[in-house]
Amino acid sequence: MSSATRTIGSGPGAWLVYVGSTLAAMPGRYVAALREHRVRTLGLTLLFILIALYPVIGHYVLADFSRNVFPLPFPDDTVATFMTIFAIMAIGLNIVAGFAGLLDLGYVAFYAIGAYTAAFLASPHFGALGINLTFLGNVGPGAAGIHLPYWLVAVIAVIVVATAGALLGAPTLRLRGDYLAIVTLGFGEIVPLFFKNLSSVTFSLTLGPIAIHIANENWTGGVQGINPIDPPFLPWLNLVFDARSGPLAVYLGLFLLSLAIIVARNLERSRMGRAWGAIREDETAAEMMGVNTVRTKLLAFALGASFAGVAGSFQASYLGASTSDFFDFTISILVLIMVILGGIGNIWGAVLGAFALTYVDKTLLPYIGQRIGDVAPSLPNPAEYNFLIFGVILVLMMRFRPQGFLPSRQREAELSVGGLAEAEREIGAPLDLDNVSVAPPGQQETGHDARDVEVPGEARDL
Amino acid sequence: MDQLIQVLIIGLANGLIFALVALGYTLVYGIIELINFAHGDVFMLGSMLAFGLIAPVASGGLGVFSITAATPVPLMVVQIVATLLICMIVMAFLNVSIERVAYRPLRHAPKLAPLISAIGMSFVLQNVGLVFGGAYQRTIEPIFPTDNLLAPLGITEIVITPAQVFVAVVTVPLLILLTWFVGRTRQGRAMRATAQDPDTAGLMGVDVNRTIALTFLIGGALAGAAGVVQILYNNYTVWNLGFRFGLNSFTAAVLGGIGNLQGAVLGALVIGEINALSDFYLSTNWTQAIVFGVLIGILVFKPTGLLGQQLADRA
Amino acid sequence: MSTLQPLALPPTLLTGTLQDSALLVKARDVTKRFGGLTAVNSVDFDIPRGSIVSLIGPNGAGKTTFFNMITGYYVPTAGSITFDDQPIVTTRGNRVRSLKPHQVTALGIGRTFQNIRLFGTMSALDNVRVGLNVHLKSHWWDSVFRSPGMLREEQAAVEECMALLKLVELDRRAETWARNLPYGDQRRLEIARALATRPKLVLLDEPTAGMNSSETRQMTDFIQRLRGELGLTVLLIEHDMRVVMGISDRVTVLDYGEVIAEGAPAEVRANPRVVEAYLGRGAAGGA
Repeated sequence: MSSATRTIGSGPGAWLVYVGSTLAAMPGRYVAALREHRVRTLGLTLLFILIALYPVIGHYVLADFSRNVFPLPFPDDTVATFMTIFAIMAIGLNIVAGFAGLLDLGYVAFYAIGAYTAAFLASPHFGALGINLTFLGNVGPGAAGIHLPYWLVAVIAVIVVATAGALLGAPTLRLRGDYLAIVTLGFGEIVPLFFKNLSSVTFSLTLGPIAIHIANENWTGGVQGINPIDPPFLPWLNLVFDARSGPLAVYLGLFLLSLAIIVARNLERSRMGRAWGAIREDETAAEMMGVNTVRTKLLAFALGASFAGVAGSFQASYLGASTSDFFDFTISILVLIMVILGGIGNIWGAVLGAFALTYVDKTLLPYIGQRIGDVAPSLPNPAEYNFLIFGVILVLMMRFRPQGFLPSRQREAELSVGGLAEAEREIGAPLDLDNVSVAPPGQQETGHDARDVEVPGEARDL
Repeated sequence: MDQLIQVLIIGLANGLIFALVALGYTLVYGIIELINFAHGDVFMLGSMLAFGLIAPVASGGLGVFSITAATPVPLMVVQIVATLLICMIVMAFLNVSIERVAYRPLRHAPKLAPLISAIGMSFVLQNVGLVFGGAYQRTIEPIFPTDNLLAPLGITEIVITPAQVFVAVVTVPLLILLTWFVGRTRQGRAMRATAQDPDTAGLMGVDVNRTIALTFLIGGALAGAAGVVQILYNNYTVWNLGFRFGLNSFTAAVLGGIGNLQGAVLGALVIGEINALSDFYLSTNWTQAIVFGVLIGILVFKPTGLLGQQLADRA
Repeated sequence: MSTLQPLALPPTLLTGTLQDSALLVKARDVTKRFGGLTAVNSVDFDIPRGSIVSLIGPNGAGKTTFFNMITGYYVPTAGSITFDDQPIVTTRGNRVRSLKPHQVTALGIGRTFQNIRLFGTMSALDNVRVGLNVHLKSHWWDSVFRSPGMLREEQAAVEECMALLKLVELDRRAETWARNLPYGDQRRLEIARALATRPKLVLLDEPTAGMNSSETRQMTDFIQRLRGELGLTVLLIEHDMRVVMGISDRVTVLDYGEVIAEGAPAEVRANPRVVEAYLGRGAAGGA
C-alpha cells in the first residue's frame, strides 16, 4: 500500500490540483508500466482500445456484416448498453458481498427503485396526478409531469437508493449470513410487488373531520409501467442517449461504468475498504480493534446499493419505460452469478463477469437457439433454459471454484481449495471463554445481541 | 361470520399442505443449518409426477392411473395410495441425490456456499419442471365429489368438502408418524444428536453422513406426499409452484421456530390462515408481500420463532 | 529486541504519567452469569495508572471473561466498571448497561487475544492500520472522492503505523500477509495493532504462550518498555509464573470467578489459598 509522497495542499482548490496532478502523472506511470510488464501493458492497452471502439464497430461494421453476409453473435447496441448497466450493478454487489462479505439476494430491489426514480422524475406520469414541474429538462413548455435532466435524476436516485439500503440494513444487518440472505430476498420480492400493485390505489379513511379518499389512483404504473421516460441528453451538442441513438448510449454507459470503477477503487483503498476486509476476516476482532461494525456494514450495504440506483435510473431512461415485470428475483441472482463467476472481491472480475454473462444470456444463447432452430426446430431452445444453465454453473462453481475466475487475492486465499484447508486449520479459535463448560453447551453470548452469535468456524463467511 | 369460518377452513387445508413441506425445511436446517432453497421445487416435481400419474391422457397426463370423478371408489383408493407411495419414494431419492451432489461436498465450505448451491439447484429443478410440465399450469378435473359433508348436520352456510377431509386424512397421520419417528426411534435420536453437535455425535458412533441422508430422505418423502395432495386438492401444478409454496413453508418453519417440528406445523397452519385471509379480504396480489413481511418481521424481532428451538440449540 | 535500542515514537503514544496515583480502572462488584453458571462473582478490581497488573488463576477461573467485560464484549450481569474516570459499565436498578467494544477501544483500551486473531489475508501494515481506524477523522465521502484531507491523514497514518511496526521489529515485513508470518512475529504484530488504537491501557492475554525462555525474556522486556517508555498501563493474563513474578507490580488471583488473593507478587505466591487453587489441597505449604 504505497502512499503518495507528494505534498498535498489544503483548501478547495487542492482537490482539483490533486486530480490534475494525478492525471498528469498518468503518462509517466504508463511508460513505466510498459517498461516493467511490456506484454501485459500492451495487451491491456489493446483491450481498452477495442472496448472504446467497439460501440462504433459493432453498430456500423458488425451489424452490416451480420445483416448482409452472415449472422454473427455480436452484442448489438442494446446488449452492449446492458453490459455496462449490469457491470455497474455487479460492482455495487461486489462491494456488499465481495468486500464486506454480506450476501444480498434482493439486489434487484435497489435496481427497481433507481428505475422508478427516473420514471417518476422524468416522465409525464405525475401529470395525471396534477404534479407538473420541469427543471432543466429537455421537454417543451407546459409539459405534464416532472421532468428533470438525467444527471440530476441519477444523483437523486443514488440518494434515494442509499437511504433505502440504510433503512433495510439498519434492523437486519446483525442477522447471521443465511438469515440476512433470506431477508434481503424478501425485500427484493416486496419492493417490485409494491411497484406492481400500487397501480390502482383505492383508499378511504374518515376520522372525524379528516377524510382521505383515494379512488383508483395510479401511483406506480403497475404492470403496464410508466412511459415514456425522458432519455439522457446533452444540450449543447443536441445529443440524445436513448435506445435509438446507436453507439451513443453505449458510450454513456461506459462513462458511467468508468465512474463506478473509480469510486469503487477509491473505497477499496481507503479506511472503509480496510475496515470491510477486517470485518469479513474476523468481525469480533475488528470490533475489538475499534471498528464500529454496525455502521461499517451499513455503509457497505447502502453504498453498494447506490450503484444499482445509478444502473436502474440509466436503464429506465435508456429504454424510455419502466415496468414492474422486469424486476424479479432472477435479476438478483444473475448479478450475483456475475460477481461469483467473475471473481469475488475484485472490481475487474465483477466487470468481466457482468460482460460475459450479459453477452451469453442476451446474445450468445439466443443466437445458438436461432441457429439450432434453423436446422432442427424441434430441439429445445437454449435461450429459454438459460437459468438451467446458470443453475448448473452455480452448483459447479461452489463445488470447484467458489472464488470465481479473477478473485481478489484475499478471497482467493480464503476460498480456494488450498485456502479452505488453511482456513480449517485456523478455525478453532473459539470465543474467548476460559473454558467451554463456562457457557451452557451450544450457547455462546456476545453480550450485545444473541442473534449475531459467533460459532467457531463461522467467522469465515463468503 | 360464516364467511370468515369458511375462509379459515380453506386456510387450514392449505396450511396442512404447507406443513408437510415446512417439515422438510425445518428438518434440514436443524441438522445442517442449511436453508434448502430447492426444497419447494422438490415439492413441485412431486406434484408434477403426481399429475403425470393421475391425469388421464386427455388432460395431458401420462394416463397411468387416469383417476377421474367417475372412477369407482375402491379402485380410486388403491390408485391414490399407489400414487402416494410412488411419489414419496421417488422424491425421497431425488432429495438424497441432491444432498449428495450439491451439499455434502460443501459441508466444510464457508457457510454461504451451500446456500448458493441450493439456489442453483432450485433453478435446475424449476427448469426440469418447465421441460416436463411446460410453461403453463397443468390442471385436472376435480376428483372428489363436492357435496358439503356438513349438510347432513343441517349446516349449509359452512362447507367442508371431501377433498378437505382427504387432505387431513393424508397429512395428519404423516405428521404423527414423523413425530414418533424423530422422538422415539434410534434413527430419530441419531438425527437429534447430529443436530445438536455433529462432531460429538460422530464420536458417539452415529454415522453422520447416513443420518443426514436420512433427513433428506424423509423431507423428500413428505414433499412428495404434499405434491400428491396438491394435485388432488388444488387440482393444478406449474413449474414455478415451488417458489410460492417454498416461501410459505419456509416462513412457516421460521415462524414456528426453525428446527422445531411442532413449531413447523403450527407455523404452517398460521401461514395457511394468513394466506386465505389475505387472498379473500385483500387481494391475491398482496399475499406474497404479506408473507414475506411476516418472514422479515420474525427474523428481525423474534428470530427464535413462536416455539423456540428444539432440534438444535443454535440461533 | 534489545533494551539498548533508542525509541523513536509518535508522541501520541505517551499517555498518563507515572506520578498520578489515581486509578485507571475501577471495577466494583462485577458479576457474570451464563444461564445457571456464574463465571465471575462479585469481583472488585483496581488497576493503578502506570502499573503492570497480572490476573492469574487456574483454567476456567474467569480471567478471560473478566477481560471481555472490561472491553465491552460481554455485558456483566451486575456491577460497574470505570475507566479513566469514564463509565464503561453502569448499573441502574436492574439494568446493566455497557459500552460497545468499539466505543471502549475509542476510550483507550487495546487488547490482544489468547489465540491470535489477526486479519490473516491482510498485510502486517494493514492490520496495524485497522487499529488506527478508530482515531481517523475522514468520512466515507472523503474516501469516495479522495479528498486532500483524507490523503494527508492516510499519509500520517502510514507513518505512525510504520513506526509501530519498527517498534516491534516488523517494519521489514510490513507487506507480508499476517498469516504468513511466523508465530512470534504474529504475537508482536498483534501488540502493534493494539498499540495503533492509541490506548492508555493494554490488555495482554497470555502474551508469552508458546514461547521459549529467551523469547519470553524479550517479551517481558518489551512489556516493561511499554510501561516505562510509553507510559502505558498493562493488564496481563499469564500462566508463566516467572513472567508474573518478574514484572508485575501487583497480582490478582481468581478462582471459580472470585478473587482469592491480591497484592504484591511475593505475598501472593506465598498465600496458601493460591497454592491450593493451583496444585490442589494438600500441596499448601509447598512453594
